[in-house]
Amino acid sequence: MSITWVNHDWRDGTVVKIDRRLILNIDWVLLCLVLLITGIGLLNLYSTGSNLTHSTAKPFYMKQLSWIMMGLVIMIVAASVDYHFVIRYGYVIYCISLLLLIWVFVQGHIVHGSQRWIVLGGFSFQPSELVKLTVIIALTKYIAENKFGDKYHISNLAVPFAVVAIPCSLIAMQPDLGTALFIFMLFFSLILFVGVNRKTVMTFIVSGMVIAPLLWFFIKDYQRQRILTFLNPERDPLGAGYHIIQSIIAIGSGGITGKGFLKGTQSQLKFLPEQQTDFVFSVFAEEWGFLGTVVVLFLFLSLVLWGVKIARNSRDLSGTILALGITVLIFWAVFINIAMVLGILPVVGIPLPFMSYGGSSMVVLMTGVGLLLNVSMRRFMLQS
Amino acid sequence: MTGESRKVLKARITTALVFFVVLFVALVSRAYQLQILSGEALKARAERQHKDVLELHTERGKIFDRNGKVLAASTHVDSVGVHPSMIKDHEKTATELARILNTNKKTVRAKLKEQRSFSWIARKISPEQSQRIRALNISGIQLVKEPRRFYTNRGLASHVLGFVGTDENGLEGLEFKYDKYLKQVARKISWGRDARGNQFCMDERGGTSNDEKNNHLILTIDSRIQHVVERQLQEALKETGAHKGTAIVMDPRTGEILAMACVPDFNPTVFYRYSDEIRKNRAVADSFDPGSIFKPFVIAAALDEGVVSPDELVDCENGRYTVGKKVIREAENKKFRELTLRDILKYSSNIGSAKIAERLGKERFYRRMKQFGFGSRTAIDLPGEASGIMRSSELWTDVDLATIAFGQGVSVTAIQMIAALSGIANNGVIMRPQVVRGIIDNRGQVIREFTPSVMGRAVSAETARIITSYLTGVVGDKDGTGQNAQILNIAVAGKTGTAQKYDFTERRYSSEKVIASFLGFFPANDPRMTVLVVLDEPQRKRWGGQAAAPVFREVAQQVIRCFDNGIGEQEYVAEPLDMEIKNAAIEEITCDPSHDGKSFIPDFTGRTMGEVVRIARERNIDVRLSGTGWAVKQNPAPGAFCDDKTVCAVLFRPAY
Repeated sequence: MSITWVNHDWRDGTVVKIDRRLILNIDWVLLCLVLLITGIGLLNLYSTGSNLTHSTAKPFYMKQLSWIMMGLVIMIVAASVDYHFVIRYGYVIYCISLLLLIWVFVQGHIVHGSQRWIVLGGFSFQPSELVKLTVIIALTKYIAENKFGDKYHISNLAVPFAVVAIPCSLIAMQPDLGTALFIFMLFFSLILFVGVNRKTVMTFIVSGMVIAPLLWFFIKDYQRQRILTFLNPERDPLGAGYHIIQSIIAIGSGGITGKGFLKGTQSQLKFLPEQQTDFVFSVFAEEWGFLGTVVVLFLFLSLVLWGVKIARNSRDLSGTILALGITVLIFWAVFINIAMVLGILPVVGIPLPFMSYGGSSMVVLMTGVGLLLNVSMRRFMLQS
Repeated sequence: MTGESRKVLKARITTALVFFVVLFVALVSRAYQLQILSGEALKARAERQHKDVLELHTERGKIFDRNGKVLAASTHVDSVGVHPSMIKDHEKTATELARILNTNKKTVRAKLKEQRSFSWIARKISPEQSQRIRALNISGIQLVKEPRRFYTNRGLASHVLGFVGTDENGLEGLEFKYDKYLKQVARKISWGRDARGNQFCMDERGGTSNDEKNNHLILTIDSRIQHVVERQLQEALKETGAHKGTAIVMDPRTGEILAMACVPDFNPTVFYRYSDEIRKNRAVADSFDPGSIFKPFVIAAALDEGVVSPDELVDCENGRYTVGKKVIREAENKKFRELTLRDILKYSSNIGSAKIAERLGKERFYRRMKQFGFGSRTAIDLPGEASGIMRSSELWTDVDLATIAFGQGVSVTAIQMIAALSGIANNGVIMRPQVVRGIIDNRGQVIREFTPSVMGRAVSAETARIITSYLTGVVGDKDGTGQNAQILNIAVAGKTGTAQKYDFTERRYSSEKVIASFLGFFPANDPRMTVLVVLDEPQRKRWGGQAAAPVFREVAQQVIRCFDNGIGEQEYVAEPLDMEIKNAAIEEITCDPSHDGKSFIPDFTGRTMGEVVRIARERNIDVRLSGTGWAVKQNPAPGAFCDDKTVCAVLFRPAY
């Protein structure tokens, strides 16, 4: 069994080529799903901002709205530029994001004890969010340009591994182990999808088993607490277990139909921590109940499956890998975040796509959606 | 892309698809588990986190005597509580509060630091204390109005009324027996609290107003007679050195108890300072050997059965009569030869009574005594009634029959005793004793009436008349034992009693410890009041005629003199209830400051129109008034939020 990849290099000098057919081919389903989820997220942020006892000085939803607007503009740009052009400059884009990551250490803005932020013209920005996307672009370029028969050998993975390892170690040093591991997960997902031989898989598993216990000593104390807490949340209900217990109480007390918009006691009364960011879904689940939870999960699943469809329909490998990479990025972020707030994964700082408050995440995801639109729109533009 | 590579790619894509779907299903399952399977449990847990319910007790109904005089009422006093999260300086606050409340600083400090949204520091404090605490003006320390029970004259008829606990629930006496009528639904206030411990009011339920629901008791007790009885009994205790005393005044025609007193008595407001023995209503709960006051019933039974005739002479064996192995003697070793029935009672002959009882026989004697109500509860509407001891006649020896005939070896309660004699005074018909005449609501409407009820006929009217005439002789004749009970111009029927107390340690009747008693009624020709006086172990005047009869006389004389027509019947008219004592607790509750501009609607009900207008102006609430009299209804209900636009409609009605 052998797979022959056919490359389509975009040799045309024009970078942006707006065609009538492009506009006709805009993927309205994808756009609608994203806008719907983003709208629900905004409404939900409005709820966290309102409060029975205090009115917040700076409403989160207003800030988020401006981020969404900015994200939509970048999304249009990302959809317009042909994705082959983007992939061609994949390493350049990747290197720029690396530089931003290094900049964090030079001019780091300290939030919650770790250096994750840089300030760009009044906006604070998290380069590690951007790296999630640029790593996918760089990996796409590598995979699309290097066909290794049917399966990758471990030796073939040296370059992509380096592509992932460099930003991951920088991010882990911030320290933001969650995001670093998340990027590794993206890498493994993509590599497994493209195909590796059995020896490589075994190497991954063995090295994983060696590294995991070493990691236990490497990671910070609070991270160790999180894992212990995950195993037994009630061991320290007011300390390390507080987040997850409050999240479970909030979600569970929502019941079938929820407590109603703006009426979630646990979130409105601030029992629920980090309710605008990591635990934003708990607020939603408390106020809208199991029905709301199912609706949002269904929307997210539809988005992911639609992404898979785009990947499948792409006429070339680079489009497929890019679309799949972005879809996997969205999928893992949704799954890890919701699994965390539901208490079936340990607490890691992965925001919920399109719903958590945060500019970096929103803009990067919108860019990703732009690229998805890009691949989707251009599926008819190529002849194979 | 070649066809084959495309096929492989599609297979992998399908694998990814399945993987995504499976993981999403896992998320939905977990959400199902949390939100549907454990939804209720987690909801309860969430409630516990942010909600605290404080129960405020609303005022109890009042207790009135038969003339509408208040015997028990609730007024509002302050209780001091704390919202621990709002306390800033624990040390200083604890010091100040402990100084004002005269309590231990440590316990106060512990309360200030409790992990609760609200806890009581001291309940029902004095007005001075509350004023001083209010002056401290510490945020987080809250004064809440709570009703507190007060009793007229520090407990007139305390044994009848009983008392209430801190939570305004009846614990003894009528307060206990009629608790469901007197007690109001507690007012509940929920306190919300956020994760930082900030508090705000959420809602309140129950007992929002106490208009029609407030019930009051009207007693048969006449507080004037009660007062006289209590005072006379206390003086008798001083004079005779008796340990305890009990007295009951009853209207023989209806069974209504006009006075019921036990001394030493207690102050129900501070009931916890007294022992159970003192708080017990001994008039119904204690039984004793009646002694000679039992004799009239023996004679009555014998006359009614026709085993003796009024003019028959009974041989009294010259003071010495042997039954079985026991020799029966007269009191003070007197010797009588032959006595008429009248004289047997007048001289209180033990031998005469014993011989008449013998004529009746055990079975018939027992049956007649049961008919008088001895050995079973009268079913008076007071809790804790004893039944006395009247062993079945099959267990009696001949000696028992003889001794029971003069009141030894039988045990009765004071209420049984007075009910039985009232039967004789009431032409042989025994009325059921009762202390409550009725229950009225806040407008004075009678919602339950307890009309006199007949327990049964004990003897024929003729027998009753004959016994009455004999008993008149006991008091009125020159040589009767009850001469001390004589009242000027009014014929008194009565019987003295001096019972030896059974000494349980020596298992025999003591010669030193006695119960002196007097049981009688007046006027003998038209009985209006039956009176029983029982003195336990008088030290100086040890005979019933010396110790108990004067108490009877004093009570009777004062009742006749002071109340002129007091012996007669008076229809009770409920006086307008004291509307001043209002449940104002809700007004005192301050809310979270962020609710500025909003306030609670106060409870207007029970207030006059002028008061409503004044309060409304003070609190900047628009009111729309209709009707006249006192406020009976309002909308919105007390405790509701209001803002500038709210108009509170208040309906007024004449009180009665």
